[in-house]
Amino acid sequence: MEWIYIMLKSISLFILVWASAKLLGKKNINRLTPFSFMGYIVIAVTAVLITLNFINIISGIIVLAIWIILPVLLDFFAIKSKTFHQLLNGKETILIKHGKIMEENLMPLRMTGEDLLAELRSKNIFNLAEIEYAVMETNGEINAYLKSDKKTITPHDLGKKVAPQAEPQTVIMDGNILDESLASLGFNRQWMESQLENMGITLENVFIGQVDSSGDLFLDLFDDAIELAQPKVKEMLYANLEKSQADLSTFATETEDTKAKAMFSKNADDLDNLLNKLRPYLLH
Amino acid sequence: MTVVSQVKQTLANLKGARGTLRMYSAQTRDQETKAVFNDALGITDNIITDLQNRLKILELKEPQYKGN
Repeated sequence: MEWIYIMLKSISLFILVWASAKLLGKKNINRLTPFSFMGYIVIAVTAVLITLNFINIISGIIVLAIWIILPVLLDFFAIKSKTFHQLLNGKETILIKHGKIMEENLMPLRMTGEDLLAELRSKNIFNLAEIEYAVMETNGEINAYLKSDKKTITPHDLGKKVAPQAEPQTVIMDGNILDESLASLGFNRQWMESQLENMGITLENVFIGQVDSSGDLFLDLFDDAIELAQPKVKEMLYANLEKSQADLSTFATETEDTKAKAMFSKNADDLDNLLNKLRPYLLH
Repeated sequence: MTVVSQVKQTLANLKGARGTLRMYSAQTRDQETKAVFNDALGITDNIITDLQNRLKILELKEPQYKGN
């Protein structure tokens, strides 16, 4: 009956180790500090040794308990105290400062210049001259801050206003309406049906449908031969307003009535300002 | 094209735009964007009222174009 015994032990240890992994936290395995990595190994190896009867079950359980409870306790203290956190996890090391490599900091990390370059290359940085500042985090990951003229341009850098956009919601999947996400947008099935009808599409033909934050519907169909006019409502609206603005300007120059002239040119100006304001929201 | 019918066309254009703006201001989730659309609604509304008043005067002056 040896095998039943081992099986029962394996299953109970499986559950125990699984529970301890949950207890020890959600941290990604490659973000672990070397120390907590060793903790995981000790737990795993002890579990195996107990199952295969290499060590006595009581002493095995004691080892497991200590290696599970201590890290949890230490983590708890690390959250409460900053000095303890540093003592436990160490401190990040500055590798590059003001664009210059800190050679004296590389030494204690047992890192060569080649190692540093390789790490930076894996971050897609091939040229040292692009880096302003780089640190090695306590888990060994290297993060670099680029010089301001080498950073990716954002709309903010260009002084451009962009419309805020929330995440799109998927409302149709495999020809089925997802009521929950539709309801979270404040729409219902009736709205969906009228939208599909306007586009001349049946629900069964839709593979994926998404609604963006401004309420426009984007569809991908099963039948890719069908050319679908994707929403151009915003562009049309902008063009429409632009045309009206041009009309108003024309009226302002053509009319001889001074009062009407003033009214037309004021409205033309208002509409022009409005167009500038709407541009980021309607054209993108 | 007469002035009256030109103004009428622009008026129709603006009314169409107002409808679309109203739709967006209702279905946009983001509060800031909603405010911009509401603002735009107000401005187009004002222009539409101005144009309608102008149209009344024009039709009074040139009654032969009324209804065009």
